[in-house]
Amino acid sequence: MNNAMMNRIVDALLSGAIVTIEVSLGALALAMAIGLTLATIDNLARARATAFVIRVYVEALRNVPSLTFLFLLYFGLAALGLRLSSLTAAIAGLGMIGGAVVFDIFRAGFQSVPKGQSEAAAAIGLKPLAAFRLVILPQGLRLALPPLGNYAVGLVKDTSLVAAIAAPEVMFNARQIVNETFATAWVYGAAALLYLALTFIVGQAFVLFERRLEY
Amino acid sequence: MQFLETILANLADWAPRLSEALVTSLALTCAGFSLALVFGLSIEYFRNRSAASIRLIANVYVAVARGVPILVILYLIYFGLPASGIVVSAFAAGTIGLALVYGAYLSEVFRAGLGVIPRGQREAALAAGLTPAQTFRLVMLPQAIRHMLAPLLVNLISLLKDSSICALIAVPELTLTSRAIMSESFLPLHVFALTACLYFAMAWPASLAVRLVERRLARGPTRWRQPDAEANLLVQSI
Repeated sequence: MNNAMMNRIVDALLSGAIVTIEVSLGALALAMAIGLTLATIDNLARARATAFVIRVYVEALRNVPSLTFLFLLYFGLAALGLRLSSLTAAIAGLGMIGGAVVFDIFRAGFQSVPKGQSEAAAAIGLKPLAAFRLVILPQGLRLALPPLGNYAVGLVKDTSLVAAIAAPEVMFNARQIVNETFATAWVYGAAALLYLALTFIVGQAFVLFERRLEY
Repeated sequence: MQFLETILANLADWAPRLSEALVTSLALTCAGFSLALVFGLSIEYFRNRSAASIRLIANVYVAVARGVPILVILYLIYFGLPASGIVVSAFAAGTIGLALVYGAYLSEVFRAGLGVIPRGQREAALAAGLTPAQTFRLVMLPQAIRHMLAPLLVNLISLLKDSSICALIAVPELTLTSRAIMSESFLPLHVFALTACLYFAMAWPASLAVRLVERRLARGPTRWRQPDAEANLLVQSI
């Protein structure tokens, strides 16, 4: 393998890594927004119907493969005349699926906060919303952090799927450069190391964050 | 309504191909999961018993398999191996790739499940003259299985969903077939909605079963409770 080829491979993978990070961050932000909103509504709303609607959303998205959902979003919406760019479809698709996962994480976190906490908050005269915001939310968030870390690591890995809808991330670029150079094992091996580094960094970031939040 | 009518009108054409693809998806899932069970148990075995170097290799393997996307591993097997002279069929590559990754996940399930059982059980069995293999089969496994049932099912569901990734190495399973149908019929929304429903029909009952098992276990007599270990386990496999 000569130097010029090596440079091209490194360039392709690094520019892919930037897109991978963009998609990961975008999808993570969207997933957190959807998940936290739904979990808050689920915690505060008393109506059966709201809980049911949220449940339908969560069950539907958690029991369908990410790739199938991405295809549905990217090709399906295009047929309806709504043509998303591959990056938008990637972030929206992974974010919506992530929203369902994050909802379950937060719900479990809020439920793990001892019941006495919300009772005590009500007893000292906090309104339900204030009790949720000041008492349940901060404690639930801390409990949710370890599984959120696992989700974030999984998300970075799942961004590899958006190569299938032509978003130019690591695997998409790797495939292109393999077609040009035929250095199959080298390129995919390097891609594996790149993902390993990314997932390690994300995992460690969450561990550090957890430590800072410890009592 | 028109949406459903279009699907129904095309069903005669799509149904045979989709059902064939469905069988491929299920075969891929079953083969991958069976192999993953074997891998997972072996990894857990090596992590516990042998020399430090082997233990290190097993731990590194698990860390790598959990940190790299399945797609990369599938590409390495399907496109990378032929470069070194080993040609595998797409289905075999998919099965092996899924099993390699899920073997690592399942080894964690086995570790946590077996970890729930008090040390004294194993020691007593060995002291009573059972061989290590008998101890595992007759004493450890029957007690651990109830703790592992829910996380094993969760992993089976994930594996079913991840079998769709094998579409990208041209295994003719559900997602790839629906893509092929899409490019002939130009009805992407209809085809993928139908496919999503098919996956849902398989995965959702299993998800409900997980919740049922969890509720049963929460109620049943648990003599040695290690809620932390089990909770972590479920969370990991989410």
